[in-house]
Amino acid sequence: MNEKPPMQSLESFEERSRVLFHDSVEGLGGALRSRLTQARSAAIEAASTSRPARFSRIGVLMPAGVTAAAVLGAFLWLGSPLGQHAVTVADGQSNFEDLEMVASSEEGSADAMDMLQDDIEFYDWAEKAANSGPAA
Amino acid sequence: MPRFDTLNSAWMVWDGPAPAPEEAVLEYTRELEKFLAEIERRAFRMAQVALRDPDDAMDAVQDAMLKLARNYASRPSAEWRPLFYRILENGIRDLQRRRSVRKRFMAWLPGPKEDPDNEAQDPLENVADASPAIPEVLMQGQAMQQLEVSLRALPARQQEAFMLRNFEGLNVAETATAMGCSEGSVKTHYSRAVHTLREDLGEVW
Repeated sequence: MNEKPPMQSLESFEERSRVLFHDSVEGLGGALRSRLTQARSAAIEAASTSRPARFSRIGVLMPAGVTAAAVLGAFLWLGSPLGQHAVTVADGQSNFEDLEMVASSEEGSADAMDMLQDDIEFYDWAEKAANSGPAA
Repeated sequence: MPRFDTLNSAWMVWDGPAPAPEEAVLEYTRELEKFLAEIERRAFRMAQVALRDPDDAMDAVQDAMLKLARNYASRPSAEWRPLFYRILENGIRDLQRRRSVRKRFMAWLPGPKEDPDNEAQDPLENVADASPAIPEVLMQGQAMQQLEVSLRALPARQQEAFMLRNFEGLNVAETATAMGCSEGSVKTHYSRAVHTLREDLGEVW
């Protein structure tokens, strides 16, 4: 006769398997624990050197923003129908001055570029806002 | 949408979120380290049960830690556990798939057959059957080995559900997130796993 032994209760089975598993976890050797600690340290290092996705976008947006600013600056500077080195549109004058200030290569250019890099999200947003047409 | 005469005036009304200060990054990396330290050994054992190989298990856990840290560290810490196990389970499945492809490829090659999984030397294959007549001699280690052998015989999804629910203590919703399936599926997989394991291991286990 090959009768199967009766099964233990569900709760005691679950409890026993859980206890056994946790005992086996506690019994992990020092070498494995050390490797796990090293793996954790590498992960923490990665977390502290990377930024959340929102901020990592800066790396992509920065060159695009700088290029857009340069193209706009060149357009305003060279593309004037009157051939003047000034913007003829009245409210474009002040925008041009701002861009000139930011993009100036003579006075405080490092500061200006730093500012541009730091606030690239803002400039991206401002560009979109300005291009979206007249005020509602 | 407001129109701006100058960039300065645009700046005044900009209400975008402030950049994350360094302190915030430090805070969540500290919290993440605590979290990883708390789960790493259990995660490793679960990966080891699924993969049979400690080196593969270590790779899977390390990979999951890195992915969690790189991509999800800024998420609320309550989400980390199911996310971590989802990454880990995906990693385990990838390794298993790669193994089976390698196995099939090796089968086509001429010459002596290699044994990439080293299954022939797997000590768990040689675990002696426990005698129902002498349950008292079953040591904790042997009982765990028996459980591991039975767990490995389960379909992958049942194995995952059992380990996540029972070993890791995830609730049904968290397990569903970790497994990428519905809560109903989790219940079904878990119930089938428990039924099979209890039948397999019997009362004396």
